[in-house]
Amino acid sequence: MDVAEILKSLTDAFPEAISEATAESEIRARSYVDKDEVRKVCQYLKDSLQFDHLCSVCGVDYIKRNELEVVYHIASYNHPVVLTLKARLPRENPEIESIVSVYWNANWYERETYELFGILFKNHPNLKPLVLPEDMIGEWPLRKDYEGFPNKTARNLV
Amino acid sequence: MEEQLEPNEMIVHLGPQHPMQPGPFRLNLRLKGETVVDADIELGFIHKGIEKILENKTYLQGITIVDRICYLVALVNEECFVGCTEKLLGIEPPERSQYIRVILDELTRIQSHLLGMGEFGEFIGFVSMFMYTIREREEVLGLIDMITGARVTHSYLKFGGVRDDLPDGFKEKALSVFNNLKKSVDDFEEMFHTDRIFRERTVGVGVLTADVAKNLGVSGPVLRATGVPFDIRKNEPYLVYKDLDFKVCTETAGDCFARVQVRINEIRESIYILEQCLDQIPGGPLFPEGTMYGRRTPVMRVPAGEVFHRVEDPRGEMGMYMISDGSDKPYRVKIRGPYYPTLQALPPLIIGTTVADVASISGSMDGCTSEADR
Repeated sequence: MDVAEILKSLTDAFPEAISEATAESEIRARSYVDKDEVRKVCQYLKDSLQFDHLCSVCGVDYIKRNELEVVYHIASYNHPVVLTLKARLPRENPEIESIVSVYWNANWYERETYELFGILFKNHPNLKPLVLPEDMIGEWPLRKDYEGFPNKTARNLV
Repeated sequence: MEEQLEPNEMIVHLGPQHPMQPGPFRLNLRLKGETVVDADIELGFIHKGIEKILENKTYLQGITIVDRICYLVALVNEECFVGCTEKLLGIEPPERSQYIRVILDELTRIQSHLLGMGEFGEFIGFVSMFMYTIREREEVLGLIDMITGARVTHSYLKFGGVRDDLPDGFKEKALSVFNNLKKSVDDFEEMFHTDRIFRERTVGVGVLTADVAKNLGVSGPVLRATGVPFDIRKNEPYLVYKDLDFKVCTETAGDCFARVQVRINEIRESIYILEQCLDQIPGGPLFPEGTMYGRRTPVMRVPAGEVFHRVEDPRGEMGMYMISDGSDKPYRVKIRGPYYPTLQALPPLIIGTTVADVASISGSMDGCTSEADR
Protein backbone atom coordinates (compact mmCIF):
# COMPACT_ATOMS: atom_id res chain seq x y z
CA MET A 1 0.00 0.00 0.00
CA ASP A 2 1.32 3.44 -0.78
CA VAL A 3 0.56 6.83 0.72
CA ALA A 4 -1.86 8.03 -1.96
CA GLU A 5 -3.93 4.86 -1.73
CA ILE A 6 -4.11 5.10 2.07
CA LEU A 7 -5.12 8.77 2.07
CA LYS A 8 -7.75 8.20 -0.61
CA SER A 9 -9.27 5.28 1.25
CA LEU A 10 -9.30 7.28 4.48
CA THR A 11 -10.94 10.40 3.02
CA ASP A 12 -13.48 8.30 1.12
CA ALA A 13 -14.50 6.48 4.27
CA PHE A 14 -14.68 9.60 6.45
CA PRO A 15 -15.35 12.61 4.19
CA GLU A 16 -16.44 14.81 7.10
CA ALA A 17 -14.08 13.76 9.86
CA ILE A 18 -10.83 13.83 7.88
CA SER A 19 -9.43 17.13 6.68
CA GLU A 20 -6.17 18.45 5.22
CA ALA A 21 -4.94 14.97 4.36
CA THR A 22 -1.52 15.37 2.75
CA ALA A 23 1.38 13.13 1.84
CA GLU A 24 4.69 14.47 3.12
CA SER A 25 6.84 11.82 1.45
CA GLU A 26 6.60 8.22 0.33
CA ILE A 27 6.51 6.97 3.90
CA ARG A 28 4.84 9.82 5.79
CA ALA A 29 1.27 11.09 5.70
CA ARG A 30 -0.49 13.71 7.75
CA SER A 31 -4.11 14.49 8.42
CA TYR A 32 -6.44 16.25 10.80
CA VAL A 33 -9.28 14.34 12.36
CA ASP A 34 -12.45 15.45 14.03
CA LYS A 35 -12.12 14.94 17.78
CA ASP A 36 -15.40 13.07 18.16
CA GLU A 37 -14.64 10.61 15.39
CA VAL A 38 -11.09 9.66 16.37
CA ARG A 39 -11.97 6.25 17.78
CA LYS A 40 -13.91 5.24 14.67
CA VAL A 41 -11.14 6.46 12.39
CA CYS A 42 -8.56 4.50 14.36
CA GLN A 43 -10.72 1.39 14.21
CA TYR A 44 -10.94 1.77 10.44
CA LEU A 45 -7.18 2.32 10.14
CA LYS A 46 -6.51 -0.81 12.14
CA ASP A 47 -9.06 -3.06 10.45
CA SER A 48 -8.89 -1.95 6.83
CA LEU A 49 -5.54 -0.26 6.23
CA GLN A 50 -3.18 -2.50 8.28
CA PHE A 51 -2.22 0.28 10.68
CA ASP A 52 -1.75 -2.11 13.57
CA HIS A 53 1.05 -0.38 15.45
CA LEU A 54 0.48 2.75 17.52
CA CYS A 55 3.83 4.52 17.87
CA SER A 56 2.81 7.25 20.25
CA VAL A 57 0.17 9.67 21.43
CA CYS A 58 1.27 13.11 22.49
CA GLY A 59 -0.03 16.57 23.08
CA VAL A 60 1.16 19.87 21.66
CA ASP A 61 0.26 23.25 23.10
CA TYR A 62 -0.35 25.94 20.45
CA ILE A 63 -0.83 28.78 22.89
CA LYS A 64 -1.01 31.50 20.25
CA ARG A 65 -3.93 29.79 18.52
CA ASN A 66 -5.46 29.00 21.92
CA GLU A 67 -5.56 25.35 20.95
CA LEU A 68 -4.20 22.03 22.11
CA GLU A 69 -3.51 19.25 19.66
CA VAL A 70 -3.45 15.55 20.30
CA VAL A 71 -1.11 13.89 17.84
CA TYR A 72 -1.28 10.17 17.07
CA HIS A 73 1.54 8.47 15.20
CA ILE A 74 0.19 5.27 13.74
CA ALA A 75 2.43 2.86 11.87
CA SER A 76 2.21 -0.68 10.64
CA TYR A 77 4.17 -3.88 11.00
CA ASN A 78 3.53 -4.61 7.31
CA HIS A 79 4.11 -1.40 5.36
CA PRO A 80 6.49 1.50 6.09
CA VAL A 81 3.96 4.36 6.05
CA VAL A 82 3.52 6.33 9.28
CA LEU A 83 0.36 8.39 9.58
CA THR A 84 0.37 11.49 11.76
CA LEU A 85 -3.21 11.99 12.87
CA LYS A 86 -3.96 15.22 14.68
CA ALA A 87 -7.01 16.42 16.54
CA ARG A 88 -7.61 20.05 17.45
CA LEU A 89 -9.02 20.81 20.90
CA PRO A 90 -9.92 24.10 22.57
CA ARG A 91 -7.53 25.11 25.33
CA GLU A 92 -10.35 25.50 27.83
CA ASN A 93 -11.93 22.18 28.69
CA PRO A 94 -10.03 19.91 26.24
CA GLU A 95 -11.75 16.56 25.87
CA ILE A 96 -11.28 13.75 23.38
CA GLU A 97 -12.36 10.18 23.07
CA SER A 98 -9.93 7.53 24.31
CA ILE A 99 -8.62 5.00 21.76
CA VAL A 100 -7.56 2.38 24.30
CA SER A 101 -10.33 0.09 23.06
CA VAL A 102 -8.66 0.09 19.62
CA TYR A 103 -4.97 0.26 20.46
CA TRP A 104 -4.19 -1.39 23.78
CA ASN A 105 -0.91 0.46 24.28
CA ALA A 106 -2.54 3.90 24.04
CA ASN A 107 -3.30 3.48 27.74
CA TRP A 108 -0.08 4.89 29.18
CA TYR A 109 0.35 7.48 26.45
CA GLU A 110 -3.06 8.91 27.22
CA ARG A 111 -2.40 8.91 30.96
CA GLU A 112 0.86 10.75 30.36
CA THR A 113 -0.76 13.27 28.04
CA TYR A 114 -3.51 13.85 30.61
CA GLU A 115 -1.16 14.70 33.45
CA LEU A 116 1.25 16.75 31.35
CA PHE A 117 -1.30 18.69 29.25
CA GLY A 118 -4.60 18.34 31.05
CA ILE A 119 -6.34 16.72 28.09
CA LEU A 120 -9.19 14.59 29.34
CA PHE A 121 -9.61 11.25 27.56
CA LYS A 122 -13.22 10.16 27.76
CA ASN A 123 -13.89 6.46 28.50
CA HIS A 124 -10.28 5.81 29.49
CA PRO A 125 -10.18 2.76 31.80
CA ASN A 126 -7.72 4.16 34.33
CA LEU A 127 -6.96 7.85 33.95
CA LYS A 128 -4.64 8.51 36.90
CA PRO A 129 -1.13 10.03 37.12
CA LEU A 130 1.68 7.90 35.76
CA VAL A 131 4.96 9.81 35.96
CA LEU A 132 4.17 12.75 38.23
CA PRO A 133 2.99 12.83 41.86
CA GLU A 134 -0.72 13.28 42.38
CA ASP A 135 -0.40 16.76 43.90
CA MET A 136 0.84 18.04 40.55
CA ILE A 137 -2.50 17.37 38.90
CA GLY A 138 -3.79 20.69 37.64
CA GLU A 139 -0.29 22.03 36.97
CA TRP A 140 -0.05 20.66 33.39
CA PRO A 141 3.76 21.02 33.15
CA LEU A 142 4.17 20.70 29.38
CA ARG A 143 1.82 23.57 28.59
CA LYS A 144 3.61 26.68 27.44
CA ASP A 145 2.25 28.90 30.24
CA TYR A 146 3.50 26.60 33.02
CA GLU A 147 5.42 28.60 35.59
CA GLY A 148 7.34 25.94 37.45
CA PHE A 149 6.22 23.70 40.27
CA PRO A 150 9.00 24.25 42.86
CA ASN A 151 8.69 28.05 42.73
CA LYS A 152 5.00 27.82 43.11
CA THR A 153 5.16 25.45 46.08
CA ALA A 154 7.78 27.58 47.82
CA ARG A 155 5.50 30.56 47.41
CA ASN A 156 2.64 28.58 48.85
CA LEU A 157 4.70 27.50 51.85
CA VAL A 158 5.64 31.10 52.71
CA MET B 1 -5.62 -3.08 44.64
CA GLU B 2 -5.80 -3.59 48.43
CA GLU B 3 -9.59 -3.43 48.67
CA GLN B 4 -10.32 -6.62 46.80
CA LEU B 5 -7.80 -8.66 48.79
CA GLU B 6 -9.05 -12.10 49.76
CA PRO B 7 -7.90 -13.83 52.98
CA ASN B 8 -5.34 -16.07 51.26
CA GLU B 9 -3.91 -13.31 49.10
CA MET B 10 -1.12 -10.84 49.70
CA ILE B 11 0.56 -7.91 48.03
CA VAL B 12 4.28 -7.88 47.32
CA HIS B 13 6.02 -4.70 46.23
CA LEU B 14 9.08 -5.25 44.07
CA GLY B 15 11.26 -2.18 43.84
CA PRO B 16 12.08 0.64 43.61
CA GLN B 17 15.75 -0.23 43.85
CA HIS B 18 15.03 -3.88 44.31
CA PRO B 19 18.09 -5.79 43.09
CA MET B 20 15.81 -7.93 40.96
CA GLN B 21 14.34 -5.10 38.93
CA PRO B 22 16.04 -3.17 36.17
CA GLY B 23 16.09 0.32 37.55
CA PRO B 24 13.84 2.05 40.02
CA PHE B 25 10.25 1.36 39.21
CA ARG B 26 7.76 -0.33 41.46
CA LEU B 27 5.94 -3.47 40.53
CA ASN B 28 3.04 -4.34 42.81
CA LEU B 29 2.06 -7.98 42.67
CA ARG B 30 -1.07 -9.50 44.14
CA LEU B 31 -0.24 -13.07 44.96
CA LYS B 32 -2.41 -16.05 45.68
CA GLY B 33 0.02 -18.56 47.05
CA GLU B 34 2.85 -18.31 44.57
CA THR B 35 0.71 -17.31 41.61
CA VAL B 36 0.49 -13.73 40.42
CA VAL B 37 -3.16 -12.79 40.06
CA ASP B 38 -2.74 -9.07 39.46
CA ALA B 39 0.13 -6.74 38.67
CA ASP B 40 0.47 -3.01 38.55
CA ILE B 41 3.44 -0.84 37.64
CA GLU B 42 4.19 2.50 39.22
CA LEU B 43 6.53 4.69 37.21
CA GLY B 44 7.87 8.12 37.92
CA PHE B 45 10.72 7.63 40.37
CA ILE B 46 13.35 9.13 38.07
CA HIS B 47 11.27 11.50 36.01
CA LYS B 48 13.73 13.94 34.47
CA GLY B 49 11.37 16.06 32.37
CA ILE B 50 13.59 15.79 29.31
CA GLU B 51 10.86 16.85 26.88
CA LYS B 52 10.37 20.11 28.77
CA ILE B 53 14.12 20.72 29.08
CA LEU B 54 14.55 20.29 25.32
CA GLU B 55 12.04 23.08 24.70
CA ASN B 56 14.25 25.48 26.62
CA LYS B 57 17.62 24.57 25.08
CA THR B 58 19.02 25.32 21.65
CA TYR B 59 19.28 22.44 19.23
CA LEU B 60 23.00 21.98 19.84
CA GLN B 61 22.50 21.93 23.61
CA GLY B 62 19.73 19.40 23.10
CA ILE B 63 22.24 16.80 21.92
CA THR B 64 23.80 16.67 25.38
CA ILE B 65 20.35 16.30 26.95
CA VAL B 66 19.16 13.41 24.80
CA ASP B 67 22.32 11.52 25.82
CA ARG B 68 20.82 11.31 29.28
CA ILE B 69 17.58 9.61 28.21
CA CYS B 70 19.26 6.25 28.57
CA TYR B 71 23.00 6.18 29.01
CA LEU B 72 23.29 2.71 27.51
CA VAL B 73 22.16 3.90 24.09
CA ALA B 74 23.24 7.54 24.14
CA LEU B 75 24.51 7.45 20.56
CA VAL B 76 21.27 6.03 19.19
CA ASN B 77 19.29 8.75 20.97
CA GLU B 78 21.62 11.34 19.46
CA GLU B 79 21.13 9.73 16.06
CA CYS B 80 17.37 10.12 16.37
CA PHE B 81 17.48 13.72 17.62
CA VAL B 82 20.07 14.82 15.06
CA GLY B 83 18.23 12.91 12.32
CA CYS B 84 15.03 14.84 13.13
CA THR B 85 16.81 18.18 12.99
CA GLU B 86 18.61 17.28 9.77
CA LYS B 87 15.31 16.42 8.13
CA LEU B 88 13.92 19.80 9.18
CA LEU B 89 17.03 21.54 7.91
CA GLY B 90 16.91 19.55 4.69
CA ILE B 91 20.54 18.42 4.83
CA GLU B 92 22.13 15.01 4.62
CA PRO B 93 25.52 14.13 6.09
CA PRO B 94 28.20 13.00 3.64
CA GLU B 95 28.77 9.30 3.25
CA ARG B 96 31.83 9.11 5.47
CA SER B 97 29.92 10.61 8.38
CA GLN B 98 27.02 8.23 7.79
CA TYR B 99 29.37 5.24 7.94
CA ILE B 100 30.93 6.50 11.18
CA ARG B 101 27.44 6.88 12.63
CA VAL B 102 26.50 3.34 11.62
CA ILE B 103 29.72 2.06 13.23
CA LEU B 104 28.80 3.83 16.48
CA ASP B 105 25.17 2.67 16.38
CA GLU B 106 26.19 -0.95 15.97
CA LEU B 107 28.87 -0.74 18.67
CA THR B 108 26.18 0.69 20.93
CA ARG B 109 23.89 -2.19 20.06
CA ILE B 110 26.58 -4.74 20.91
CA GLN B 111 27.45 -3.24 24.28
CA SER B 112 23.80 -2.77 25.23
CA HIS B 113 22.95 -6.39 24.36
CA LEU B 114 26.01 -7.64 26.25
CA LEU B 115 25.00 -5.77 29.38
CA GLY B 116 21.38 -6.84 28.94
CA MET B 117 22.37 -10.49 28.71
CA GLY B 118 24.62 -10.18 31.75
CA GLU B 119 21.93 -8.50 33.80
CA PHE B 120 19.44 -11.12 32.78
CA GLY B 121 21.84 -13.80 33.96
CA GLU B 122 22.18 -12.00 37.25
CA PHE B 123 18.41 -11.76 37.75
CA ILE B 124 18.00 -15.51 37.61
CA GLY B 125 21.01 -16.28 39.77
CA PHE B 126 23.60 -16.80 37.03
CA VAL B 127 25.90 -14.13 38.46
CA SER B 128 29.11 -15.18 36.71
CA MET B 129 27.39 -14.44 33.38
CA PHE B 130 27.42 -10.77 34.34
CA MET B 131 31.17 -10.92 34.97
CA TYR B 132 31.80 -12.50 31.58
CA THR B 133 29.67 -10.10 29.58
CA ILE B 134 30.83 -6.97 31.38
CA ARG B 135 34.42 -7.88 30.50
CA GLU B 136 33.58 -8.09 26.81
CA ARG B 137 31.51 -4.92 27.05
CA GLU B 138 34.54 -3.03 28.36
CA GLU B 139 36.40 -3.88 25.15
CA VAL B 140 33.53 -2.55 23.03
CA LEU B 141 33.24 0.57 25.19
CA GLY B 142 36.97 1.03 24.64
CA LEU B 143 36.33 1.18 20.88
CA ILE B 144 33.57 3.78 21.36
CA ASP B 145 35.89 5.68 23.70
CA MET B 146 38.56 5.69 20.97
CA ILE B 147 36.19 7.45 18.56
CA THR B 148 34.21 9.77 20.80
CA GLY B 149 36.48 10.29 23.80
CA ALA B 150 33.78 9.30 26.29
CA ARG B 151 32.36 6.08 27.63
CA VAL B 152 28.69 6.78 28.17
CA THR B 153 27.65 10.35 27.32
CA HIS B 154 29.32 11.32 24.10
CA SER B 155 27.81 14.43 22.47
CA TYR B 156 29.58 13.23 19.36
CA LEU B 157 27.09 13.76 16.56
CA LYS B 158 26.60 17.18 15.04
CA PHE B 159 24.07 18.45 12.55
CA GLY B 160 25.29 17.38 9.12
CA GLY B 161 28.03 15.08 10.33
CA VAL B 162 30.14 13.94 13.25
CA ARG B 163 32.52 15.85 15.49
CA ASP B 164 35.74 13.97 14.69
CA ASP B 165 37.13 11.52 12.22
CA LEU B 166 37.97 7.92 13.09
CA PRO B 167 41.29 7.74 14.97
CA ASP B 168 44.41 6.13 13.48
CA GLY B 169 44.61 2.39 13.94
CA PHE B 170 40.92 2.05 14.71
CA LYS B 171 40.32 -0.63 12.09
CA GLU B 172 43.04 -2.97 13.36
CA LYS B 173 42.01 -2.49 16.98
CA ALA B 174 38.35 -3.06 16.14
CA LEU B 175 38.98 -6.21 14.12
CA SER B 176 41.01 -7.77 16.91
CA VAL B 177 38.25 -6.94 19.42
CA PHE B 178 35.66 -8.48 17.09
CA ASN B 179 37.68 -11.67 16.73
CA ASN B 180 37.75 -12.15 20.48
CA LEU B 181 34.12 -11.11 20.79
CA LYS B 182 32.96 -13.69 18.26
CA LYS B 183 34.54 -16.46 20.31
CA SER B 184 33.05 -15.10 23.52
CA VAL B 185 29.59 -14.85 22.00
CA ASP B 186 29.85 -18.49 20.93
CA ASP B 187 30.84 -19.34 24.51
CA PHE B 188 27.88 -17.40 25.93
CA GLU B 189 25.53 -19.18 23.59
CA GLU B 190 26.93 -22.55 24.57
CA MET B 191 26.58 -21.65 28.26
CA PHE B 192 22.97 -20.62 27.77
CA HIS B 193 22.18 -23.71 25.76
CA THR B 194 23.81 -26.26 28.02
CA ASP B 195 23.04 -24.84 31.45
CA ARG B 196 20.10 -26.85 32.72
CA ILE B 197 19.00 -24.30 35.31
CA PHE B 198 19.05 -21.53 32.75
CA ARG B 199 16.97 -23.56 30.33
CA GLU B 200 14.41 -24.46 32.95
CA ARG B 201 14.05 -20.86 34.04
CA THR B 202 13.58 -19.54 30.49
CA VAL B 203 12.22 -22.11 28.02
CA GLY B 204 8.46 -21.75 27.80
CA VAL B 205 8.39 -18.91 30.34
CA GLY B 206 6.66 -15.64 29.50
CA VAL B 207 5.47 -16.75 26.08
CA LEU B 208 4.27 -14.00 23.73
CA THR B 209 2.60 -14.93 20.47
CA ALA B 210 3.04 -12.74 17.42
CA ASP B 211 -0.56 -11.51 17.48
CA VAL B 212 -0.49 -10.64 21.16
CA ALA B 213 2.89 -8.93 20.82
CA LYS B 214 1.63 -6.79 17.94
CA ASN B 215 -1.45 -5.88 19.92
CA LEU B 216 0.67 -4.89 22.91
CA GLY B 217 2.67 -2.61 20.61
CA VAL B 218 6.12 -3.93 21.51
CA SER B 219 9.07 -3.72 19.15
CA GLY B 220 12.69 -4.75 18.99
CA PRO B 221 14.05 -8.13 20.16
CA VAL B 222 10.92 -8.81 22.22
CA LEU B 223 8.82 -8.65 19.05
CA ARG B 224 11.36 -10.38 16.82
CA ALA B 225 11.51 -13.30 19.26
CA THR B 226 7.89 -14.00 18.31
CA GLY B 227 8.74 -14.29 14.63
CA VAL B 228 7.80 -10.84 13.31
CA PRO B 229 10.67 -9.52 11.15
CA PHE B 230 10.11 -5.86 12.04
CA ASP B 231 13.30 -3.81 12.04
CA ILE B 232 13.47 -0.09 11.28
CA ARG B 233 16.86 -0.59 9.63
CA LYS B 234 15.12 -2.72 6.98
CA ASN B 235 11.60 -1.26 6.94
CA GLU B 236 12.60 2.38 6.83
CA PRO B 237 16.34 2.52 6.10
CA TYR B 238 18.21 5.51 7.46
CA LEU B 239 21.91 6.40 7.06
CA VAL B 240 23.62 3.85 4.79
CA TYR B 241 21.82 0.75 6.04
CA LYS B 242 20.36 0.12 2.59
CA ASP B 243 23.90 -0.44 1.23
CA LEU B 244 24.81 -2.94 3.93
CA ASP B 245 24.08 -6.62 3.95
CA PHE B 246 22.46 -7.97 7.10
CA LYS B 247 19.49 -10.05 8.04
CA VAL B 248 16.81 -9.49 10.64
CA CYS B 249 17.21 -12.03 13.45
CA THR B 250 13.99 -13.73 14.43
CA GLU B 251 12.96 -16.67 16.59
CA THR B 252 9.59 -18.32 16.77
CA ALA B 253 9.11 -19.43 20.38
CA GLY B 254 8.50 -15.97 21.87
CA ASP B 255 9.69 -17.02 25.34
CA CYS B 256 12.53 -15.67 27.50
CA PHE B 257 15.00 -18.05 25.88
CA ALA B 258 14.10 -16.85 22.38
CA ARG B 259 14.56 -13.23 23.43
CA VAL B 260 18.09 -13.93 24.66
CA GLN B 261 18.80 -15.92 21.50
CA VAL B 262 17.69 -13.00 19.31
CA ARG B 263 20.10 -10.71 21.16
CA ILE B 264 22.98 -13.16 20.72
CA ASN B 265 22.31 -13.40 16.99
CA GLU B 266 22.00 -9.63 16.72
CA ILE B 267 25.46 -9.20 18.24
CA ARG B 268 26.81 -11.44 15.47
CA GLU B 269 24.87 -9.52 12.80
CA SER B 270 26.19 -6.23 14.20
CA ILE B 271 29.76 -7.50 14.02
CA TYR B 272 29.11 -8.47 10.40
CA ILE B 273 27.75 -4.97 9.65
CA LEU B 274 30.75 -3.39 11.36
CA GLU B 275 33.21 -5.45 9.32
CA GLN B 276 31.51 -4.33 6.12
CA CYS B 277 31.57 -0.71 7.29
CA LEU B 278 35.28 -0.83 8.07
CA ASP B 279 35.95 -2.27 4.60
CA GLN B 280 33.67 0.02 2.65
CA ILE B 281 34.07 3.36 4.44
CA PRO B 282 34.88 6.00 1.83
CA GLY B 283 37.08 9.06 2.29
CA GLY B 284 35.83 12.59 1.96
CA PRO B 285 34.61 15.41 4.14
CA LEU B 286 32.69 14.97 7.40
CA PHE B 287 30.22 17.79 6.73
CA PRO B 288 28.38 18.87 3.57
CA GLU B 289 30.78 21.05 1.63
CA GLY B 290 30.06 24.72 1.12
CA THR B 291 27.73 25.01 4.12
CA MET B 292 28.02 26.43 7.59
CA TYR B 293 27.60 23.02 9.21
CA GLY B 294 30.56 21.83 11.21
CA ARG B 295 31.84 25.33 11.92
CA ARG B 296 31.33 27.04 15.23
CA THR B 297 27.82 28.39 15.06
CA PRO B 298 26.52 29.88 18.30
CA VAL B 299 22.90 30.00 17.21
CA MET B 300 21.31 27.91 14.50
CA ARG B 301 17.77 28.59 13.37
CA VAL B 302 15.74 25.70 12.03
CA PRO B 303 12.98 26.24 9.46
CA ALA B 304 9.44 25.81 10.75
CA GLY B 305 7.94 22.39 10.23
CA GLU B 306 7.45 19.06 11.89
CA VAL B 307 8.97 15.63 11.46
CA PHE B 308 8.69 12.15 12.91
CA HIS B 309 11.91 10.17 12.62
CA ARG B 310 12.48 6.60 13.72
CA VAL B 311 15.69 4.66 14.33
CA GLU B 312 16.34 1.13 15.54
CA ASP B 313 17.40 1.22 19.16
CA PRO B 314 18.85 -1.96 20.77
CA ARG B 315 15.47 -2.22 22.54
CA GLY B 316 13.27 -1.51 19.53
CA GLU B 317 11.76 1.44 17.81
CA MET B 318 13.04 4.84 18.95
CA GLY B 319 11.08 7.71 17.47
CA MET B 320 11.06 11.44 17.96
CA TYR B 321 8.41 13.91 16.89
CA MET B 322 9.92 17.35 16.56
CA ILE B 323 8.07 20.59 15.85
CA SER B 324 10.02 23.70 14.96
CA ASP B 325 8.51 27.17 14.87
CA GLY B 326 11.50 28.71 13.10
CA SER B 327 13.40 29.77 16.21
CA ASP B 328 16.64 28.40 17.63
CA LYS B 329 14.89 26.09 20.09
CA PRO B 330 12.54 23.21 19.30
CA TYR B 331 8.88 24.05 19.92
CA ARG B 332 8.06 20.53 21.05
CA VAL B 333 9.91 17.24 21.12
CA LYS B 334 8.02 14.04 21.86
CA ILE B 335 10.26 11.08 22.56
CA ARG B 336 8.76 7.71 21.83
CA GLY B 337 11.06 5.36 23.65
CA PRO B 338 11.13 1.65 22.79
CA TYR B 339 10.99 0.38 26.36
CA TYR B 340 7.81 2.26 27.28
CA PRO B 341 5.40 -0.14 25.47
CA THR B 342 7.46 -3.12 26.54
CA LEU B 343 7.20 -2.11 30.18
CA GLN B 344 3.49 -1.51 29.73
CA ALA B 345 3.17 -5.03 28.37
CA LEU B 346 4.75 -6.53 31.47
CA PRO B 347 1.60 -6.91 33.66
CA PRO B 348 -0.40 -8.96 31.12
CA LEU B 349 2.64 -11.20 30.64
CA ILE B 350 3.27 -11.94 34.30
CA ILE B 351 -0.34 -12.41 35.38
CA GLY B 352 -0.84 -16.12 35.83
CA THR B 353 2.81 -17.01 36.27
CA THR B 354 4.56 -17.77 39.54
CA VAL B 355 6.43 -15.10 41.45
CA ALA B 356 9.78 -16.76 40.68
CA ASP B 357 9.19 -16.30 36.96
CA VAL B 358 8.62 -12.57 37.34
CA ALA B 359 12.38 -12.12 37.58
CA SER B 360 13.12 -13.98 34.41
CA ILE B 361 10.32 -12.35 32.43
CA SER B 362 11.10 -8.77 33.44
CA GLY B 363 14.81 -9.44 33.01
CA SER B 364 14.43 -10.88 29.52
CA MET B 365 12.76 -7.63 28.40
CA ASP B 366 16.16 -5.94 28.82
CA GLY B 367 14.78 -2.85 30.44
CA CYS B 368 16.00 0.64 30.94
CA THR B 369 13.58 2.42 33.26
CA SER B 370 15.43 5.67 32.81
CA GLU B 371 14.40 5.63 29.18
CA ALA B 372 10.77 4.69 29.81
CA ASP B 373 10.40 7.33 32.51
CA ARG B 374 11.87 10.34 30.84
